[in-house]
Amino acid sequence: MSLFTFPLKSRLIYKHFSTLVEKELIEECRKGDLHNFRKVVEKTTPMIFAVAFRMLGDEDTARDIVQDTMITIWQKLSRIKTAESYKTWAYRIAVNKCYDQLRKQKRRKENRYDDQTWAIISNHISEEGITELENKENAQIINLLTNKLSHKQKAVFILSELEEMPAGEIAEVTGMNRAAVKANLYYARRNIESLLQKYL
Amino acid sequence: MKMTAQNDRYKKMVEILRNSKPGLIQPEEIQNEVIRRIQRENQNFRGVSDFIESLFGWVYIGWVRRSLIGVAVILVAVFVYQQAFIFKQVKNISKQVVITGNETTQVSSSVLDKRLTLYKISTRLSPGGELKISESQFEELLNSYNDLQVKYKDLLRIIEENPELKNYIENKLNQEKKYKPDI
Repeated sequence: MSLFTFPLKSRLIYKHFSTLVEKELIEECRKGDLHNFRKVVEKTTPMIFAVAFRMLGDEDTARDIVQDTMITIWQKLSRIKTAESYKTWAYRIAVNKCYDQLRKQKRRKENRYDDQTWAIISNHISEEGITELENKENAQIINLLTNKLSHKQKAVFILSELEEMPAGEIAEVTGMNRAAVKANLYYARRNIESLLQKYL
Repeated sequence: MKMTAQNDRYKKMVEILRNSKPGLIQPEEIQNEVIRRIQRENQNFRGVSDFIESLFGWVYIGWVRRSLIGVAVILVAVFVYQQAFIFKQVKNISKQVVITGNETTQVSSSVLDKRLTLYKISTRLSPGGELKISESQFEELLNSYNDLQVKYKDLLRIIEENPELKNYIENKLNQEKKYKPDI
């Protein structure tokens, strides 16, 4: 896979993901139907939580981001042009809230737990097959690998590589153009690869 | 070779992270909290948001709507300021009127005399009609009238005190009457 290409598989997954919340449901919510909005919350919450958790690396903060995002979605639901654009729009709100939160937080310095985390990474990479990480390990590893990245590079890495979103959609979510998305992804990959080479 | 190994590590790591979707514990807690917060906020802001929605609901572009709301707020603020300013001025005017009224009651005797005099004069000057005269002209007229009265009284007193002068003036007046042609 080239550094500048996005996997075809991700587009298929993404297409499937687009129908996560039905058009009719969105239309009902736009009329102010709170009962139907509960269903929207139910369907949207996992995807927002995944992005927020990966971006912030903290479960409680990610839960707060989910709540704030859902409330903003409710308040501004009438403003989206089409129900089809709901998912990208919801992602954009969540990512912007994550940016705000990251700006508030100071960048984490390397600490004594980093060696422990590198050991975990080493174990998982050397294992046969793909193992599934628990939330805590997951957060530790993402935090370690993306610690040196800018907020934009981190967002692009998470959306592209972990959420498997195509470049065009990432551009819409982050407000960057496609070239900037690809450039940010390239630098993020290079940075993480050099970290893996250095510590493993 | 080195590059491939580095790439493989990266791919494996990304695959592991991608496969490990963060699990949300008790999602219904978040859902309930979201609905609760929305209901609470709806109660608090329903009035304001309904008002804004009813005014600017036709604008779908976010920044245009925000700009319109901003302009509307500025206009309302300017209007309120202007009204407050005007109200203050009007209030001052009414105060001035009250003060004038008080002055009127305090110096009532002289001013009342003056007004009565003016009334008498005006009825003589334009019987049945209206007399248009400014405040300053009125003051000037009254002062001249008063001066004239004083001088007239002084003149009468001088004449009464001096019998020769009185006789002289009576003779003169009689002569004038004698030579005055009949009309």
